[in-house]
Amino acid sequence: MTRVRVTAPRQAAIPAPTRFPYGGEVAEDSDVGRVFVRSLIRSQLRLALVVACGFLLILASFAVLLVFGPGVAETRILGIPLDWLLLGLGIYPVIGLSAWLYNRAAARNEARYRDLVEDK
Amino acid sequence: MNPAVGLVAFLAVSITTAVIGFYGLRISRTTGDFYVASRTVPPWWNASAIGGEYLSAASFLGVAGLILLSGTDALWFPVGYTAGYLMLLLFVAAPLRRSGAYTIPDFTEARLDSRVVRRVTSLVVVAVGWLYIVPQLHGAALTIRITTGLPSWVGSTAVVLVVCLTVVAGGMRSITFVQAFQYWLKLTALAVPVIFVLLVLAGNDTPQQAQLPVNPTGQPAASAYQNISLMVALLFGTLGLPHVLVRFYTNPDGQSARRTTLIVLGLLSVFYLFPTLSGALGRIFAPELAQSGQADALVLLLPGKLVGGTAGELLSALVVAGAFAAFLSTTSGLVVSLSGVISQDLFGGSVRGFRLAALLAAVVPLGFAFMTDTLALAGSVGLVFAFTASTICPVLLLGIWWRGLTDAGAIAGMVTGALLCGGAMVIGTVMGQGNAPAWLAQPAAWTVPAAFAVTVAVSVWTKNRVPASVNRVMSRLHVPERPVATER
Repeated sequence: MTRVRVTAPRQAAIPAPTRFPYGGEVAEDSDVGRVFVRSLIRSQLRLALVVACGFLLILASFAVLLVFGPGVAETRILGIPLDWLLLGLGIYPVIGLSAWLYNRAAARNEARYRDLVEDK
Repeated sequence: MNPAVGLVAFLAVSITTAVIGFYGLRISRTTGDFYVASRTVPPWWNASAIGGEYLSAASFLGVAGLILLSGTDALWFPVGYTAGYLMLLLFVAAPLRRSGAYTIPDFTEARLDSRVVRRVTSLVVVAVGWLYIVPQLHGAALTIRITTGLPSWVGSTAVVLVVCLTVVAGGMRSITFVQAFQYWLKLTALAVPVIFVLLVLAGNDTPQQAQLPVNPTGQPAASAYQNISLMVALLFGTLGLPHVLVRFYTNPDGQSARRTTLIVLGLLSVFYLFPTLSGALGRIFAPELAQSGQADALVLLLPGKLVGGTAGELLSALVVAGAFAAFLSTTSGLVVSLSGVISQDLFGGSVRGFRLAALLAAVVPLGFAFMTDTLALAGSVGLVFAFTASTICPVLLLGIWWRGLTDAGAIAGMVTGALLCGGAMVIGTVMGQGNAPAWLAQPAAWTVPAAFAVTVAVSVWTKNRVPASVNRVMSRLHVPERPVATER
């Protein structure tokens, strides 16, 4: 086997527009396609913001509970103080659940977009 | 601790890393292999690799150390490190994968159609990378000093040497295998000793009424401002980290980038249980480490102290191995992504240029590490997150979601963020830890909004500079790939 010298053209990371995926071609072609893409982006952004705000609200309520909650520092479950349990353990399932819900909803948005484009 | 234990553990990890690296060399042939493992890495491997790369000295040693020092306030660190990935999933993961950009400068150049933006982004990325490697080397110095008694510089130099060897030899293909292996090594290295210690304590019938809230240093609790600012830095800093971003390129499409991130969140959540447990155990059984300023060494010293004997030595060796896995994996991840950036901009993107750039990317921070002192590891990494959140994060988020972003706005935002946050970091360091006021010590809460505001304001002001390609690029970022690739 002969050794070949391989060099990377710097633009290789951004392939030519002709290689765009299916929906992208539609988006280029027509006004309707552009509207579809805009509404996809808007629904994905709305979804991301809703999940992010929801999570931040829960996080903030944890913090408020730790500071102002009556007797949180004194309460113990199996010998472990409640504030340690909440922050060290309780918040992680919330993160995972938010991520899982987001993934499902984002995939659904994309499926809806694909249906629209294929109907056309 | 027996010096041989530390040395043997370090050598074992280094040799394993090198072996996996060289095994990878046999299968990497083309420039594509070298850079991104040709996008053939399955999600579980990829997620382990992301976890392996992300869990740095700050997570492995720093979090437990900080919990020992400041208790529940420190629990926000692992929460922020994990939740940062949630933000990354929500706003960045799929679009960035679809952009086809390999580095952040690639992305900003393609999005804004401007070489100048590319240059500025490259500078910021290199600064972030270098800043982030320094605490890793400090961690290595600390570990070598504590476990073997050798001078500190041996640890940081050894890490740089091993990283240079693996990266220069194998590139990203081998790095992916190395990182995935190192996630599981790190998890084992923290989990096994902690579980063992807990079992021993349960067997000894130690009083169950743990005195967790004891404050060994008498430090005042962090203010609400500090906690909020820290969360801003960690939540928005993660999505701009250069080594994390590169990893997403090894997913085949946007949908699998999301799936990978979900797995990463699970892996991180499991991992962070153990530094938290170590910190809590440290509060009960080893508060003297906090008073003697050795809090960051808590994870390393705990098994020897609480178990003792041969079992203690073996557990210590495991922890030291895990610690070095943490330094090696994060450093090599950063070095790979930095050399990607440096070689594309300076050396024309050849494999040879990549190797040269790797040397450059690893040796400069070694100099910084020699010149600076060890701060609390988790704290200094927190500052790097603040810097990333004030520079790269606004450009990425606005670039992905807002058509109105212009090259002028992006540059103005990055420069503002870098000056404000960098300035606060320098002044804070000069004033010394503990003396700097909270708004300087933890600047993210005001520098991040400022950077966003400047980016938006300048973009609106220079509306005529919105690139002509914006519609094409935006649909590329958000439109799902062909169904064949995703519905399997």
